[in-house]
Amino acid sequence: MASQKTKNDWNDESTSEISVTLLPLSTEQTPSVLEMVQGPGAPRNYELFRAEMVVGRAIDADVPINSTDLSRRHVLLKRAPSGQYSLQDLESRNGAYVNGVKIHSAVLHDGDSIQLGSILFVFHEGRAMS
Amino acid sequence: MSFFVRFWGIRGSIPTPGHLTKKYGGNTSCVEIRSDDSLFICDGGTGLRELGADLLTRGKKQITGHFFYSHTHWDHIQGFPFFTPAYIPSNTFHVYGTAEGDRRTYELLSGQMRSDYFPVDFGELRSNIVASHLDGGHREIDGVAVSFFEQHHPGRSWAYSFVRDGFKIVYATDNEIDLTFPRPEAVLKEPEAPRPIPEAFRQFCHGADLLIADGQYFDDEYEKKVGWGHPRASTIIDLALQSEAKQVAIFHHDPMHGDSDVDRKIALCKERAARVNPQLLVFGAREGLELRIG
Ligand SMILES: [Zn+2]
Ligand SMILES: [Zn+2]
Repeated sequence: MASQKTKNDWNDESTSEISVTLLPLSTEQTPSVLEMVQGPGAPRNYELFRAEMVVGRAIDADVPINSTDLSRRHVLLKRAPSGQYSLQDLESRNGAYVNGVKIHSAVLHDGDSIQLGSILFVFHEGRAMS
Repeated sequence: MSFFVRFWGIRGSIPTPGHLTKKYGGNTSCVEIRSDDSLFICDGGTGLRELGADLLTRGKKQITGHFFYSHTHWDHIQGFPFFTPAYIPSNTFHVYGTAEGDRRTYELLSGQMRSDYFPVDFGELRSNIVASHLDGGHREIDGVAVSFFEQHHPGRSWAYSFVRDGFKIVYATDNEIDLTFPRPEAVLKEPEAPRPIPEAFRQFCHGADLLIADGQYFDDEYEKKVGWGHPRASTIIDLALQSEAKQVAIFHHDPMHGDSDVDRKIALCKERAARVNPQLLVFGAREGLELRIG
């Protein structure tokens, strides 16, 4: 049986009423990020802010990387309505590898490694971006 | 010519949705193989529903597909009633048995759509669904040579190989290879030793550019699941090594395994492979992964 002391300590009426302020949405919505861990200028983060982003050697690529290992348009990162990104090889010369597997396309998950030639990225999945 | 192989369902036994299986996926067996315009579908587990939805976005007026079922356990046929292209009259689907007059798969597919189980009758599938078969174990379909091999599984199951222009894909799920070992106790005594994969099956898988094979259990789990129809994942590595496959996708993940368990299983498989042939590429089949072979 609870003592009188415990009962008083946990008395509901001791809760003070406050008006709850919702935390800013930005802590809920974070974009997915492509972290370059090996390559020119690494370490470096690329935020994925568009539904379709091309990674390649071309100067006008969304993620331009100055390396002859890469094709001009090497891979496409594409966001599904669910917010999930997938990676697609754009018939690149040296291929695209996800966790060491040469892929044609792959739905990406947090922590996946992406290798394009000698360039290495880690994919960080964002939250609630669609 | 290239094969494109996409995993739509990789889970064994029962669908396992949820955050624990987010990475590998929770849909049951379904693998799509494309060669030029030809479509081959290995098994119709719940992954087939999503493949169906995707096919409808590809802008083809008439879809023709060739279904190869490993067997008719629920986890391999459950998606069929939800395969939307089968309801569209202009489409044609061939369902292959393993011998002439073998309509078992066809009958079981239609049987699961009886009113006791499902609100829509098989007859309401408006597409042209054709019961077909592999002649003497082989058949050439649109330039792809398809063969089958009978495996070890309660109620029988079949593996299929697809070959074109020297490129080979093998789909071999629900196959308890460990049950074929003449001295099962030897595996317990010396788990590291190479396992005696039956010669005929080694030949069937020989030189596969991609071997997709049931590797449901960890070694210690298998002890309690002998006779359930699935092998140790480690045995699949020996199959891949001995048949000189180039890459192996461990498939039919156990429904009790979350992503971290599958990661651990694959890591052990990779270690085993690397001790013999570091060139063998080992990975866990996961939904949404598409490979190009050739
Ligand atoms: Zn199964
Ligand atoms: Zn089965």
